[in-house]
Amino acid sequence: MSEARFRNPGWAGNTGDFELTEAEVRGSEYVGRRSPDGGHPSVAPSLPYMLVAKNPEAPLLEGPYRERLGKIRSRYPTARAALIPLLNMAQEIRGHISPATMNEVAGILGLSEAFVRGVATFYTMYNKRPVGRFLVQVCTNISCNLAGADEVLAAFLEHTGTELGETSADGDFTVAEAECLAACGFPTCVQINSRYFEDVSPEDVPALLARLRREVDEGY
Amino acid sequence: MRTVTLTIDSAEVTVPKGTSLLQAAEGLGIEVPHYCYHPGLTAPAQCRICLVEVEGAPKLQPSCVTMAEDGQVVRTDSDAALRMRKGVLEFYLVNHPLDCPICDMSGECMLQDYVFDEGREKGRSREPKRVFGRDDFGGDVLYYGDRCVMCTRCVRFMDEVARDSRLTVVERGSRAVIDTFFEEGLEGSPFAGNVVDICPVGALVSKDFLHKARAWDLDHTPSVCTSCSQGCNIELHTRDNLVQRLKPRANHEVNGHWMCDYGRANYEWYNRAGRLEEPSSGRGGKRRGGDWKSALEHLFVRLVELAGTEVRVVGSPSASVEALGALLALAEAAGGAASGVFRSRRAESEDPMPGFPLLVRRRDLAANVDGARLLGFERVGDDEAAGGLEEVAAHDGIVVVLGDELADQSADFGGEAALYVYMGHFDSPAAGNADFVLPITTAAEEEGTFVNAQGRVQRYWQGLQPLGAARPAWLVLGALAGALMGGGTPASAAKAFAALAAAHAPLEGLSHEALGELGVALAAEAAHG
Repeated sequence: MSEARFRNPGWAGNTGDFELTEAEVRGSEYVGRRSPDGGHPSVAPSLPYMLVAKNPEAPLLEGPYRERLGKIRSRYPTARAALIPLLNMAQEIRGHISPATMNEVAGILGLSEAFVRGVATFYTMYNKRPVGRFLVQVCTNISCNLAGADEVLAAFLEHTGTELGETSADGDFTVAEAECLAACGFPTCVQINSRYFEDVSPEDVPALLARLRREVDEGY
Repeated sequence: MRTVTLTIDSAEVTVPKGTSLLQAAEGLGIEVPHYCYHPGLTAPAQCRICLVEVEGAPKLQPSCVTMAEDGQVVRTDSDAALRMRKGVLEFYLVNHPLDCPICDMSGECMLQDYVFDEGREKGRSREPKRVFGRDDFGGDVLYYGDRCVMCTRCVRFMDEVARDSRLTVVERGSRAVIDTFFEEGLEGSPFAGNVVDICPVGALVSKDFLHKARAWDLDHTPSVCTSCSQGCNIELHTRDNLVQRLKPRANHEVNGHWMCDYGRANYEWYNRAGRLEEPSSGRGGKRRGGDWKSALEHLFVRLVELAGTEVRVVGSPSASVEALGALLALAEAAGGAASGVFRSRRAESEDPMPGFPLLVRRRDLAANVDGARLLGFERVGDDEAAGGLEEVAAHDGIVVVLGDELADQSADFGGEAALYVYMGHFDSPAAGNADFVLPITTAAEEEGTFVNAQGRVQRYWQGLQPLGAARPAWLVLGALAGALMGGGTPASAAKAFAALAAAHAPLEGLSHEALGELGVALAAEAAHG
């Protein structure tokens, strides 16, 4: 499969009709890694951002991350309200929310461990188990399903050599099903770490995986 | 107090402002089905089964959080409300297993009751039910996830009353279960047993009670917990003349809706084997069993012979006010000074319930320590209820021991006594010298009253038949004292209490009838005087 066949540049909103870069569409300050200190306080407590490098042992509140916690806390009247942004941050740093991480977060915010566990388990976007460097979430909800999402999912499973919900032997890929990713205009939608890939067909999958591997090799 | 008047199911009712529709209906004797609402907890209005029709409101209103307003017209049994309840119950049964035949809650289950009253005849769900199995929460609590209706009463109890947030809802939707935080569980929480009481279904059950008895086979007797001087109001649940379990009974002045696990677990002694079952007389090897008539006649003759001899009595902080009063009356009638001693085990510290501070697991681990003090008994011995009886042990007059097992005393106890009477539940080596060993009933086998640490006089009722020939201590002592004084035998515990109240100023004006089920607080100075 040639690179030219691969229509998807790897970010939401590109239909392949225009030669625009991600930076041109989103603005250059939003491209690439989010800064560890969270950037401007108004965006510091935003959605989980998933990095390729996942270190479950990494300290939670070191350097810029401590700064980000300060920004998060400053946005909310109570410690309890800061729980979800802090869990987002913990997942960004560690890749998943382990029981130990829940304990630690509870300690930081002065909440009960049971309460933190209740919240962390309520939201499916928190990984409760370690995931691979790339978390591949294939939408199998109605629009994507009509457009052949089941075949896309099967292709991912075949080419990564893993089971649904499991991580491949080399630790690179975890493949999971996702409910609607809100890109119903561009089925099938696949979210890989924090990025959207749209219009994905089963034939795209090998090139997509090759590209992800190459990016990792290049130190992305 | 401002009040509002409203109409519920075409009956008019006036309630204080701030009363919920559910409580107002309760006052009229109308039960609105509910799971998440519990009078001792906040109401999150999430079970959606207490919805009622309020005239003028566009939708059905949750009656547990909708406050009564002037002029409201409420229908709890309108077509819309009934249809809604039928629907909600059907949803509950989509995943709730129909394992009532093996469920401990069966017979007292709110889901069972409501479905029986108002549910559909048959469910329409054709999907398989989800299965979680059961989870050991630690302590005495076992969780059956399949039966849970997610009312979160247990979560809120741990948050609000025990103030020890160890339970939470994990996951969501049909996968949601109550869980503890990983391994820790409820182990070590002194109040966790209450979550079993407040669970409206069979999701949280007691390991101790598991498959022991069916709810409809149990007799319920109002009683008072004997495990500490707080005197939590409880119910004895009995079957086959054995206490099967203890449940708290609501009393907002003492224990709210709760009790501690220490008290809850401490009931096996009521059922302990090896009790004294018949009166006997004769020292040491010459002891011979007999009947009450001959024992009391002989004892009476001995008391008359020894009239004027100094009497020393050992009471028990677990004996009723009536029994202790009768003990003093006997001592007085026999010619001694009317005072006695008692010994009581004491815990190292108090254990208050954080969210309901009136309820405290007290240091004194017996129910009637304050009653004994009130009547003039003096505490002796240490915190293990040992020692302090030297003067009694070697006394050469009359010695009467009531209820104290004398576990720390040697077989020489009472060897010098001219007359030694031992009244108790169990035999003891230190009873070897007793001239008379008289079996008395436990608190579960008699009526009586205790005075708790707040100075509250509380009644307890008879739940079990006395074992063998055991008789209430107030009856035995009252008969002897009555015979010595020329009076009669008290006909009932109420009469014994009335006589005592007439003679002791702090109890003046009280009677069993006046005490009722919830007891009466003594004036502060009387209780501690």
